[in-house]
Amino acid sequence: MRLGWGYYFKLDELNQPANIRCLILACGNTLRSDDGVGPWLARWAEERFRSEPSVRIVSRQQWTPELAEEIAQSESVLFIDCSVHSDPGSVELNPVVPASCTEGLATHHVGAAELLALSFELYNSLPQNAMQLMVGAGSTELGETFSGQVAAALPQACSLIEETVASQLGNISGPRGV
Amino acid sequence: MSQTITIDPVTRLEGHGKITIQLNGRGQVEDAHFHVTQVRGFEKFAEGRPFYEMPSLMARICGICPVSHLIASAKACEAIMAVRIPHTAAQLRRMLNLAQMVQSHALSFFHLSSPDLLLGMESDSAKRHIFGVAAAHPELGRAGIGLRRFGQHMIELLGNKRIHPGWVVPGGVTEPLSPAHRDEILAGLPEAYANLKLAITAYKSIAASFKGEIEVFANFPSNYLGLINEDESIEFTDGLLRLIDPKGNIIEDGIAAPRFSEVIGEAVEDYTYTKFVYYKPLGYAEGSYRVGPLPRLNIVKSMGTPLADIELAEFKQISAGPIESSFHYHHARLVEALYGLEKIEQILTDPLILDKHVRATAGVNRLEGAGQIEAPRGTLFHNYKVDEDGKITWANLVVATGHNNNAMNKGVLQSAKAYVKDGKFTPGALNRIEAVIRTFDPCLSCSTHAFGQMPLAMTIVNADGEVVDTLIR
Repeated sequence: MRLGWGYYFKLDELNQPANIRCLILACGNTLRSDDGVGPWLARWAEERFRSEPSVRIVSRQQWTPELAEEIAQSESVLFIDCSVHSDPGSVELNPVVPASCTEGLATHHVGAAELLALSFELYNSLPQNAMQLMVGAGSTELGETFSGQVAAALPQACSLIEETVASQLGNISGPRGV
Repeated sequence: MSQTITIDPVTRLEGHGKITIQLNGRGQVEDAHFHVTQVRGFEKFAEGRPFYEMPSLMARICGICPVSHLIASAKACEAIMAVRIPHTAAQLRRMLNLAQMVQSHALSFFHLSSPDLLLGMESDSAKRHIFGVAAAHPELGRAGIGLRRFGQHMIELLGNKRIHPGWVVPGGVTEPLSPAHRDEILAGLPEAYANLKLAITAYKSIAASFKGEIEVFANFPSNYLGLINEDESIEFTDGLLRLIDPKGNIIEDGIAAPRFSEVIGEAVEDYTYTKFVYYKPLGYAEGSYRVGPLPRLNIVKSMGTPLADIELAEFKQISAGPIESSFHYHHARLVEALYGLEKIEQILTDPLILDKHVRATAGVNRLEGAGQIEAPRGTLFHNYKVDEDGKITWANLVVATGHNNNAMNKGVLQSAKAYVKDGKFTPGALNRIEAVIRTFDPCLSCSTHAFGQMPLAMTIVNADGEVVDTLIR
């Protein structure tokens, strides 16, 4: 069966929104010590919420503009990353607001605020809730293990992820904890 | 008093580069250069590694076109092994290469160049970025994201990872394609076609408004190099290289990978880390040529897929012979992306694509191997030598940006002469000079870069090195 122009559909017929009630977007480099905390928490979340079809987890080395499409189709979004500007091992959960349109953008990496803004500009859609979980990095040197501070912070980070997702979904099933 | 204008960094490119423009005492442009300001060293630190590690190592050169390096490297390894990979493996790699080409061309067109093309070269630099495109043309912004998503997701379905997939190995690929993944890719094609049609329609509607740029954006006769099939249709993964002259006559044909180094040479200039590649029989720099989408379409007689062939026929009407202005790289990318979608569809509808035989195995049977393919930006060549234990003793890569280096420098000089007059220039003029480089879509390395809020600092210095003027954004 050949497709091609003969099977041209209108784009708005194709872009069917997925039933994503909570999108978890993590980023980080697993080869740079604490920078890998985002992917680690994403893997934990994949296991924790594997029986929740309305929770989608995406882990990337860097956030790119293409993720705006996923955000636009989600009721809520939780960004997860490490921060070199926070105290090592600190865990913060804060709301995110869309960036203003005049700010620049890197094609290989965009921030949470820029992604929200892009989601609005392109798809006229914003999640009802947008939060960002930041874990303060102790070390971003080459390596595949966490610093003591970040390792100690993991249970708290996991609890916050669980609470955030639960607040979006109501009761969630499955085992709790790290 | 002579002056030097420096554009550093050049924005909306893969990698780091700068442009310098030398003015004479009358404020006229005398010379200009494109400098690549980074060195990677992959050819050196690969020495001592087992040859079968090379595809995975070489893929790390780049995050935009790792698939190109994966495949070219694997082909060089297979030459060392003296194996021919199974037909299904070859087709799977072909699809992977095309998926990368689609997403890379989408990145170049939508993210890097569309702010200039859709908002204008003189538009407010604070808005000349993807936000600006999204605000003014949201449908096109969505189309770009959708097309990139298709290509990246297809790479992920085939190779298990969007970036640096480890699926391509010496001898073939590690796993066959599943029916579910095949069907998922096929299901994504209608939207991909629709997104690309939007882009092609939009480009054709605005191209005529860039007559001035077309005249001076690396618009000069040159030779052209690219892979081609026996039936003279376009080829990205196999085939042999053809070099044609400015009139379209064949200079040399049927260049297979083992002969590449006999006919292609590399020169070094002291102002840049990127080498200058040339055709040896004609010497450096007379033997320079261009590679990539525009040269490929200049070389071939057909695309081999119905919709792309229609677009190619229209494209070739731009000129009676080979099309010379590098501005038309933008159009050529869209034609190639369309071919990519059609070819992917063709391959996926062949039942043999699900065959389980996808890898050949062997040890060291030759002490040297070479592989060549067409990367999104142009011809890519990997050449390795090994010892009897299969450890790399020497490696050489010739990448597309090197092939185009001479043309990029000539293009920068040409546009600088057009847009810098009596020592005066506008921000839009500088953007145009940068845009010449963007037509080539060079991959200087995988490196972050910013657009929109152009981090441009321009300094004019006199012959004594004294700062005469500065412009900072």
